[in-house]
Amino acid sequence: MNSPIIELQNLKKYYGKNKGIEDVSIKINKGEIYGFIGPNGAGKSTTIRTIIGLINKNGGKVLINGEELKFDDIEFKKKLGYLPSEVHLYENFTIKQTFDYHQTFYDKDCSQRRNELEELLKIDEEKKIGDLSLGNLKKVGIVLALMHEPEILILDEATSGLDPIMQNIFHDILMEEKKKGTTILYSSHILSEVSSICDKVGFIKDGIIIKEDLIDNIKKDNFTYLKISSKDIEKIKEELNLKVIKEEDNNITFINNLDANTIINKLAKYDIDRLLIEEISLEDLFIHYYM
Amino acid sequence: MIKRELIVNIKSFIVSLSILVAMFLFVYLLYPFVITEETINQMDELMKSMPESFLKAFNMDMTSISTAYGWLKTEGFVFVLFVSGIYASILGANILLKEENDKTIEYLAFLPIKRSKILTNKLIVSLIYIFALVIIFGLFNFVALLISCDFDKKEFLLLSISPLFIALPLFSMNLLISTFMHKSKKMLGISLGFVFIFYIINLVSEMSENVEFLKYFSIYSLGDVRGIIDNGYMNPICIIVSILLSAIFIVLSYLRYNKKELI
Repeated sequence: MNSPIIELQNLKKYYGKNKGIEDVSIKINKGEIYGFIGPNGAGKSTTIRTIIGLINKNGGKVLINGEELKFDDIEFKKKLGYLPSEVHLYENFTIKQTFDYHQTFYDKDCSQRRNELEELLKIDEEKKIGDLSLGNLKKVGIVLALMHEPEILILDEATSGLDPIMQNIFHDILMEEKKKGTTILYSSHILSEVSSICDKVGFIKDGIIIKEDLIDNIKKDNFTYLKISSKDIEKIKEELNLKVIKEEDNNITFINNLDANTIINKLAKYDIDRLLIEEISLEDLFIHYYM
Repeated sequence: MIKRELIVNIKSFIVSLSILVAMFLFVYLLYPFVITEETINQMDELMKSMPESFLKAFNMDMTSISTAYGWLKTEGFVFVLFVSGIYASILGANILLKEENDKTIEYLAFLPIKRSKILTNKLIVSLIYIFALVIIFGLFNFVALLISCDFDKKEFLLLSISPLFIALPLFSMNLLISTFMHKSKKMLGISLGFVFIFYIINLVSEMSENVEFLKYFSIYSLGDVRGIIDNGYMNPICIIVSILLSAIFIVLSYLRYNKKELI
């Protein structure tokens, strides 16, 4: 079996005494889009910055193609595309100068992909970086991350600042990259986009990966979203030991991981006014893991 | 990358060079009108009334300011050393740290370029500018002095290159300190603080023999302007110490920058 393109083994980073990440282990195979999910401060950016080498890890390993990543590894960086959550570039440069400058660091001609991306994202090269809005700056960041046709793409809150039309265009670009075999680490807290574009997802909480699975498996995980109205609500809560999302008078909403037969059998002995079973969204699952 | 660095840093170079040129040009233009036999006598009287320690601090105990070259050797070069020291210090403080301060380091870090190469490129650009400042300003003075008065050309050449021996260690010292910092503003305060402290220590050390030992605590002593005027050559120890200090600071900067957390 081929080794994963990116593998993190028990990655650990502390800022002095403050925890950045405690234990992050993930595997991303070739051509996979890995959704790296967690609330702000969970350790997503710290993980990414450790991979890129901006900060030094305190423990664990970063493996690329099965080999431990060395400090300042130029071969790795030639294959890498990176889009930070906030794009900061040289403000006195125009977009054209920025792209030209970027191109000088790679041994190949990036002009074709650069033109394609510029057209897709509707970028005017003559504008100055310092005059760009957050969204336009993000678009420039996307071109910089992709124009040298990287094999590994690391995206941190990639769509923040982009309008919905550009978000869709960007998702299409990612799908195209995936078809080419690009391996993508996609950090986000916008769960709807992760569930629509990612193959696998890892939930990070307080610097630890608390759940990792294929999106399809998570969808098949039998998690449902239940709303019950009943006079026996207290007894139901006690018997099922529920993780309640919302509670109001005799109505409760909760996440259920029992199969349909079991839950119906358990509820049959109670006086139920109303029962609603829905498929769970990634958002609900997020609440389930982080509450 | 070198081209970009040259463009980015040209502004501060032009400002520093302009300050020096403007000040000296003003003096060169003024001298023919101000200096007459009468004013020279008045100035000599004035000098006699001043404490010897003060005159020593500005090298005025060794030479007369009756010509533009005389002024250049005294107050002039004290000022040149001060300005070139500030320029080199700010350059050293900023050239690496600006990337972190402006957060462009996040972009630079993912490009296929080694950290040591980033430092080398920035170092090359800094050295180009420091040397350019000394050479261009030296040429300007040379032309101006040719027009203004007679002067000792060998002594002038030595005086002109003396700022290098304080600028290089000051630059590299600040470069090293900046590898421990994350914010430009704080670093700028520290770097200017060092320049002023070194400058004052050097001035004080030249005032009296009792406090002469202080010169060992100031990079400004490495300029050795007094030695050049007094002996006609620069103390080789100053040259060796200056180059050695710069080399040590630069090597330590490489070692430290390769381990730095770029946050």
